[in-house]
Amino acid sequence: MTALPTLPTRPVVSEAPAGYAWWRFGRYSILVHRRAWSSGFLLIAAMIIVSGISLASGAAGLSPWTALAAAIGQGEPMHVFLVQELRLQRLIAGLLTGAALGVAGCLLQTLARNRLATPGIIGIDDGATAFAVASIVAIPTTLAPSALALTGAATAAGLAFGLSGGAGARGYRFIVVGIAVGALFGALTNLMLARTDMDSANQAYPWTVGSLNARPAQAVWLLGIGLLAGLPVAKYLGRALTLMRFSDSVATGLGVPLKRMRVMTLLLTVFLTALAVAVVGPVGLIALAAPEVARYLVGHQGVPVFNAALAGATLMSLADWVGRTLMAPIEIPVGVIMAVIGGPYLLWILLRPSARRAP
Amino acid sequence: MSSSASRPQVVKRSWLICLTLVVLSVLASLLIGAGDVSPGRSAQALWSGADSEARFIVMELRWPRTLLGAMVGMALGAAGVILQSATRNPLAEPGLLGVSAGASFAVVLAISLGSSAATLNLGVAVAGALAGCFLVLLVTQLRGIGSDPVRLILVGAAFTSMLMAISTLILLSDQRSADEMRFWVIGALAGRPTETAYSSAPGVLLGLLLMLPLIRPLAALALGERVATGLGHHPQLTRMSALVCVAILVGTATAAAGPIAFVGLIVPFVARRLVGPDIRRTLWLSLLIGPIIILFADTISRLVVKPYELPIGVVTAFIGAPILIAVVRGHRLPTL
Repeated sequence: MTALPTLPTRPVVSEAPAGYAWWRFGRYSILVHRRAWSSGFLLIAAMIIVSGISLASGAAGLSPWTALAAAIGQGEPMHVFLVQELRLQRLIAGLLTGAALGVAGCLLQTLARNRLATPGIIGIDDGATAFAVASIVAIPTTLAPSALALTGAATAAGLAFGLSGGAGARGYRFIVVGIAVGALFGALTNLMLARTDMDSANQAYPWTVGSLNARPAQAVWLLGIGLLAGLPVAKYLGRALTLMRFSDSVATGLGVPLKRMRVMTLLLTVFLTALAVAVVGPVGLIALAAPEVARYLVGHQGVPVFNAALAGATLMSLADWVGRTLMAPIEIPVGVIMAVIGGPYLLWILLRPSARRAP
Repeated sequence: MSSSASRPQVVKRSWLICLTLVVLSVLASLLIGAGDVSPGRSAQALWSGADSEARFIVMELRWPRTLLGAMVGMALGAAGVILQSATRNPLAEPGLLGVSAGASFAVVLAISLGSSAATLNLGVAVAGALAGCFLVLLVTQLRGIGSDPVRLILVGAAFTSMLMAISTLILLSDQRSADEMRFWVIGALAGRPTETAYSSAPGVLLGLLLMLPLIRPLAALALGERVATGLGHHPQLTRMSALVCVAILVGTATAAAGPIAFVGLIVPFVARRLVGPDIRRTLWLSLLIGPIIILFADTISRLVVKPYELPIGVVTAFIGAPILIAVVRGHRLPTL
């Protein structure tokens, strides 16, 4: 490198572009999008607050501080048991599934250039659910739901993409094919539930609506590991996806290997969705709402992967808390809560006359 | 089908095929069941009253159910054809557009508020279907969405899932009548009181009668609004009355059998394949195809999970979802 002739010196930039902060660490420096980071911190704060409230409320009411203290093992043994063994597991399951679904929705929306193209709407959730239910009905082992949910999600995604001739330019056609695929798998789930005796059908019921009450601990672990592996990949893909929001030829011109990126994004979406569905069942609207919240907060045109994850985690645990407390002691499944809140929102997106629909 | 010269023959042949299938489906529905009574024994019981157990099952259980299935099939099939030509959308289907969901939600709401009379349910269901229909009308009037057949389906799906969720909320909060109401969320021909078939007949008849004066205006509407206006029709009026007609048919069908999706999609699709896009032909044929689909689907639903029964909506979904994909995949969505 030293042998190179002297190049014209780079223009010395001392100011970061508008909206960015420039962090320097000696020789290294990074540009940071201010709003992305500030909204990230905002979402983390919201998540902590929701977690505290969620840990504190339940049949035995605790104060948020007692609950948070109990979560790290301080305070009365009774409280520690209650919070650590019962509520914390549920909270973690909610946070992880929300994050995974948020990221999956964010990726797929960008890939299909349509904010309605979320895993829930195009049938990936239903596919994963059908296969997870099959595993519960047929092979009752602990790891089977996650593994089979992956198969089901991949099948559904493959069907939706294959039958509609790809996402992209086909627009809404892709989504309606997805709805049909989802209806097929939903019917399959109902078929299996009808075939079994009542006992395992009751066990499988939460799968049809989506509930955090039925989370198997093994699947939560798998989801945690998967999320840890998937988030960096998602962040990496996000850079390419930002460019892929232009037309295909522009993206190719900017050096994006379109085909490979599409396949990888789809695979990651399927992976995250399936792992989350194996825990919580079909709670599709999180994947629609979380990226939307993230994009609103961040306000720039990138692909807010981490913020979508945070927003999803917050929304999921919030919805679960609402479901637990609204009609206590009856518990409303989190999927129902999301459908009641998310339905009008979905309609609003669809009916806005002059909406820009591409994310 | 494509050559116009042979069209009368094609129409005649389609009618013959459909009539044969209607007879077959009625026989299948009467003779085949989830219980122990074999088809042969049922057939004998049809002619002679010697075997009282089989005769009871066939005449008291299966016959009302078959009749109900035929009613519901006619209502949903005709409603599908009318809705498709009123919205000029080959994907329009009462179940997918939220009309059935509106009807069943209205009934769930009414039951949870304390009503229980079966006659009241019919009126409430029609009112709910009407509300669903007007949402459809409202959406088709919006710029950019009305002309996009596919987006209308999304609105319907969103509307349906929202109403379903609220119904679930009501069911959860009201365990007492949950069993009574669960029926309205899923839809089935099984276990309905015998008189349901007879009490829903007036509604279906009324809907079909109201449909008669609409056939010509709807056929004209297929040529485009301007042509229809030029021919002396009022597109807006036609559309409104068509939707009222659909609401009566779907409301009656839902009050009788709960929400059954996809029938209103399958029937017009098959009818168009058989006799072409002209509503003056498809509408009459749909009155035969609807019962065929429902009765065969119902028979299958009794056989798959013996000795239990499958909700009929599961069977229609297995037939209807591929058709939905086929229509969407069509090189160019046919505009009606």
